[in-house]
Amino acid sequence: MRSRDGDSNFTLRLCSIIVLCSLSLSASEYLISYKYIVKDAILYNETLLISKSMKKCSGKPYSELVLDNYGQKNLKKIISQNSTLFIDYIHKLGLHVEHKEMTANLQNSSTTTLTLRTTCFKVDFNDSLARIYPLK
Amino acid sequence: MRYSILLTMLLTVSSLFGADKVLIVDTTVVEQTNAELAAVRAEALKAKEEAQIATIQANEAREESQKTMDKLAQVKAQREEELATMAAQEEILRQNKSMHVSVIGQGVAPMNTSSPAQAYALAKRAAIADAYRAIAEKVKGVRIDGQDTIKNMMVQKSTIRTYVQAIVRNADIVETTFKEGLCEVEMEIVISHSDFAQ
Repeated sequence: MRSRDGDSNFTLRLCSIIVLCSLSLSASEYLISYKYIVKDAILYNETLLISKSMKKCSGKPYSELVLDNYGQKNLKKIISQNSTLFIDYIHKLGLHVEHKEMTANLQNSSTTTLTLRTTCFKVDFNDSLARIYPLK
Repeated sequence: MRYSILLTMLLTVSSLFGADKVLIVDTTVVEQTNAELAAVRAEALKAKEEAQIATIQANEAREESQKTMDKLAQVKAQREEELATMAAQEEILRQNKSMHVSVIGQGVAPMNTSSPAQAYALAKRAAIADAYRAIAEKVKGVRIDGQDTIKNMMVQKSTIRTYVQAIVRNADIVETTFKEGLCEVEMEIVISHSDFAQ
């Protein structure tokens, strides 16, 4: 006999399928942007922004980076623990360089901005490693 | 008869006198014409001399212009040679051949660092940015804008603005040195023709 609150089993199944699908589709894709400003040969500001992608990214993965995940699945923490390695890797991927220099009455001032525009990265968490690939 | 003889004698004498007069008149004309001719001749001679001088001057001017032309041609040839040598020395990106670009970037550590390690890290980051800028300048070029303000024959303000914009990929750090707060990063990039193919 059917219960009065409908087919609860069916609803539960549907919800679990939606959750699983959403996890499998976008959980391992992150949007990362990086920017730093050097003013008069001194580092002025540095920003690394990491966020989970809320929709599926398109593109093919290339240029893999493997990091130790130290038993974690939080990309921000993994990257902060391997920051030097990750920033070197970002430099290799390619940065936009914008340099402005002004000499007024023989006094010079300059600003250099290096930027990684917001890029989607695919991240695979294995046993002890995190594999990061940019999508292009 | 006597009268006739007298008449003839008179006539002859008169004719003789008349002939003398005519002769006198003729000689003055000849003298005049001779003088004129001499003057004309002298003028002609003068003109000839002047013409000769003018020809000599023209020849000299021609020689001088020829010399200047030769000099110009020489200078032009020298300039072309210099340009050719410069072009030979300047590395040009060709197909199937890669090119190495090497630069040195400098960065300074800020004053308010908590440790020498932090100072080194920050100075290195600044030096890398400078090296990237240098690569972009070498490979892509610099936009330069200058402005001078002059008032009452005096320079009031002199401004030079430079601007560089590029994307730099696959640059490698060759060497890093840190001495007395100054960090120097030697950076290298290999460029091939295919990198610029559209």
